[in-house]
Amino acid sequence: MSTIDATHTGPHGHHEGSYLDGPAGFWSRIAQWAVTVDHKKIGVMYLFAVLFMFFLGGVAALAVRLELLDPVRDVVQPDGTSVTTGYILQSIFGATDGVSGNEIYNRAFTLHGAIMVFMFIVPSIPASLGNFFLPIMLGAKDVAFPRLNLLSWYIYVFGSIFGVLSILMGGVDTGWTFYTPYSLTTDADHWRVVLMVLAAFILGFSSILTGMNFIVTVHKLRAPGMGWFDMPLFIWAIYATSIIQVLATPVIGITLLLLIFERIFRIGIFDPAMGGDPVLYQHFFWFYSHPVVYVMILPAMGIISELLAVHCRKHIFGYRAIAFSSLGIAAVSFLVWGHHMFTAMGELAAMLFSALTFLVAIPTAIKVFNWIATLYKGSIALNTPMLYTLAFLFLFSIGGLTGLPLGALATDLHLHDSYFVVAHFHYVMMGGTVIAFVGGIHHWWPKMFGRMYNEKVGMLGCVIVFIGFNVTFFTQFILGTQGMPRRYANYVDEFQLLHQISTVGSWLLLVGFLVHLFNFIHSLLAGPKAPPNPWGGLTLEWETESPPIEHNFHHEPIVKHGPYDFDTVVPPHCDPKDFPLPDKA
Amino acid sequence: MSYTLAEQSWLSKFIFRAAPASDSAAWSDGLFMMIFWFSTFFFVLLMVLMVYWTVKYRRRPGVPAPVSPHHNTPLEIIWTVVPSSALLVIFILGFQGYLSKTVAPTGALELRVSAWKWGWAITYPNGAQSPETKFLEESADGTVVGNKYPIFYVPENTAVSLRMSSQDVIHAFWIPDFRTKMDVYPNRFTGYTFHTPTLGLEEEVFDETVGQNIPGRDMWVFCAEYCGDEHSRMAATIRVVPQFIYEQKLAEWNAPKDPVELGKQIHEGRCAICHSVNGTPGTGPTWKDLYGSQGLMSDGSTVLKDDNYIRESIYIPAAKIVAGYAGNMPSFQGQLDETQLDGIIAYMKTLSQHAPQPAGSDTGAEPATESTESQPNETTGGGQS
Repeated sequence: MSTIDATHTGPHGHHEGSYLDGPAGFWSRIAQWAVTVDHKKIGVMYLFAVLFMFFLGGVAALAVRLELLDPVRDVVQPDGTSVTTGYILQSIFGATDGVSGNEIYNRAFTLHGAIMVFMFIVPSIPASLGNFFLPIMLGAKDVAFPRLNLLSWYIYVFGSIFGVLSILMGGVDTGWTFYTPYSLTTDADHWRVVLMVLAAFILGFSSILTGMNFIVTVHKLRAPGMGWFDMPLFIWAIYATSIIQVLATPVIGITLLLLIFERIFRIGIFDPAMGGDPVLYQHFFWFYSHPVVYVMILPAMGIISELLAVHCRKHIFGYRAIAFSSLGIAAVSFLVWGHHMFTAMGELAAMLFSALTFLVAIPTAIKVFNWIATLYKGSIALNTPMLYTLAFLFLFSIGGLTGLPLGALATDLHLHDSYFVVAHFHYVMMGGTVIAFVGGIHHWWPKMFGRMYNEKVGMLGCVIVFIGFNVTFFTQFILGTQGMPRRYANYVDEFQLLHQISTVGSWLLLVGFLVHLFNFIHSLLAGPKAPPNPWGGLTLEWETESPPIEHNFHHEPIVKHGPYDFDTVVPPHCDPKDFPLPDKA
Repeated sequence: MSYTLAEQSWLSKFIFRAAPASDSAAWSDGLFMMIFWFSTFFFVLLMVLMVYWTVKYRRRPGVPAPVSPHHNTPLEIIWTVVPSSALLVIFILGFQGYLSKTVAPTGALELRVSAWKWGWAITYPNGAQSPETKFLEESADGTVVGNKYPIFYVPENTAVSLRMSSQDVIHAFWIPDFRTKMDVYPNRFTGYTFHTPTLGLEEEVFDETVGQNIPGRDMWVFCAEYCGDEHSRMAATIRVVPQFIYEQKLAEWNAPKDPVELGKQIHEGRCAICHSVNGTPGTGPTWKDLYGSQGLMSDGSTVLKDDNYIRESIYIPAAKIVAGYAGNMPSFQGQLDETQLDGIIAYMKTLSQHAPQPAGSDTGAEPATESTESQPNETTGGGQS
């Protein structure tokens, strides 16, 4: 993807400054960022916003794990009276008016789920790294509709405020799925549930606008010379994601709106007390919420394809297989929502949804095989992004394979709504998406902020996160098969040891992420200046400076080679001595 | 076909804790283990390749990566077709096992399960309900108390089919030992089937009602669909016993009972999860000293808690909410009949210092009768919320 650029004068030949440059003075800087239409600034704003939400959701997760350290027991004292022990959260926050220890727990896990799904993981990769790098990787100056892009950020913030407001008013205890009729009847005299549902509704619009923007950008703004099959696989993944976002999000919008109407106006669509059907709600809900699982994981798969190729310095194996499997996953993802409801439907429906569920496993398996094959005969650098890529392959494979007993009907009847499911989707969502996201942030950090991070500290953080993750969640597989139901504030004593191990793991995860946080802050303050192409990447973002100039490129790039032609092209800004090409036979 | 407890391997014990209790449970454990070994094989294969290649092809300065193919169509076809066929097999086996757990054989013993926030009841074919309760677990030193949960007796070596519905929100009836569950809905019946095992010679459980061990095996029942505050304590015990004990129990439960004893049993099986009898407030008010007392309602009115107040609170719980409580209670209209209501009231009287002493059975101790049913509640008329 080298550019033909007759007047090219090198990265510092022009006076156009970095996108991070701005007017002097704190408030004018803020004002400049607040009205910016630059996709890079918006991407960075999204990055900080979603990472803040990840922090909030993480605090709720730690609270959930803390409560589960000890089961609730009534212990008889020597004087014959009994004392209840084990309400850890209640003892920390004090006995609040009319809120039981169980309800505090129920609110904590609802917050964890709602924040992590709606405010963190759905927007995470597409809105932050996608916003920043999709236009640059295509060789464009910006996304197709820059103002719409800013609007979607403001909608995201606006929606999140509703969610935070609901939390400040005490939070909700519906679970992030808002299943009816429970969500219609709980806290009947309060507005918290409506606020939280409204937050998810509003966030949906942000998702739709971002998705639409990306689809148009990919179709219309590719640099001259870049055909569809010259696009980096990250773009393919974001493109497939955007299609799902645009098609599926309106359904959840309508569903959540109906839920609000049902609560306020009692229209009788989901509430059986008024002739409604709670199963209908589940169908509507999962018709969005299953495809959205792929909104979460597809961009992560895109990141892994990029990281693997660059850090193995090798052409990705099976480019078309990976690209088409992204589209295949997007298509089939719309047909498998019923597998969330195997314990709620008849035999025929269950059979069909089970079969379709296995269908969606195949393109995912194809991707994993191609990634592993990419390692073969590479030149593999072991750094933080690569370590995260390997961690992803390990964790995501477990996440995918443990989907098999959930897709098979006979075994699902046992495992459904147990800790096995909790462990399975954390291996996919966190072991997959979050791990790839953190790896991607490390990979593109020098490009985004123009500073290098400390490689050793980054690798240390990765190892701690990897160990902590497995300690936290592998135990939960066993809890599930042994009979521990999910969303339990309390449990029988036999499960305590595994719960304790899991809680200790969550503290390890905290330490790992704090190491990364420290590393990033240190990099911003005192990190060495990053060269334009520290890893030797061939995609277009490595042609421009670190950080990129405001219009991304000095001249419109013309694409002359594929994104992964490491065996024929010396990467831009790199010394050919460091990048010897193999002898052609 | 009955399933007798086979020797449980350490791996099965580690993964599933309890041995499968039926043929179809053992069958689905077999499927799980098949998927487990299939997955383990491919996972280990992939990870060994990953680590081996990562080490072997680690970057050496100045040495280019050797030329290697960018794609290989036959390879892509192989690793599409091979997993696809394996998945097809898993799908078919999964459906087969699902049918054996959901489709009841003709002549199965039909038990009617009802669920509410937060408890379970089973009605047997002769109309009886189990009044027996036990702690889910008891510690060796006996210091742990808490909630007792209902015991549902089922005969050994019998096909059982469950027909279930809920009084309020969605619940799910999970018996981990039978490896199956199904959601319980307020607006439709759902159900499943299992074949109870044949008891081994040494399998015994302690029967509180007779104070000694009887042949039997206990299994946990958990609610698996989130249903609110006490979701994690919505449990029960399934007790598999020989046919003659099962029949004996059913006959016993249907016989007339002392009202106080009946009320106590109903409380333990259904009410104790929210209403204590020792003065501790729970999700609902305690029953200690409740009967005959004056109480503040959430609308500010004061109400005398007499027979009719209790009747109304059980059948139409939303009519009056005690101040400081959320009004979580579902209606027990159609669930508890007049005799059971009398029993509850009789039991509440024994717990209250405000109630007249049972020895002199004067007006206050009279249980609600049909004649009061149609009368408006005079003492509490202003307290409607």
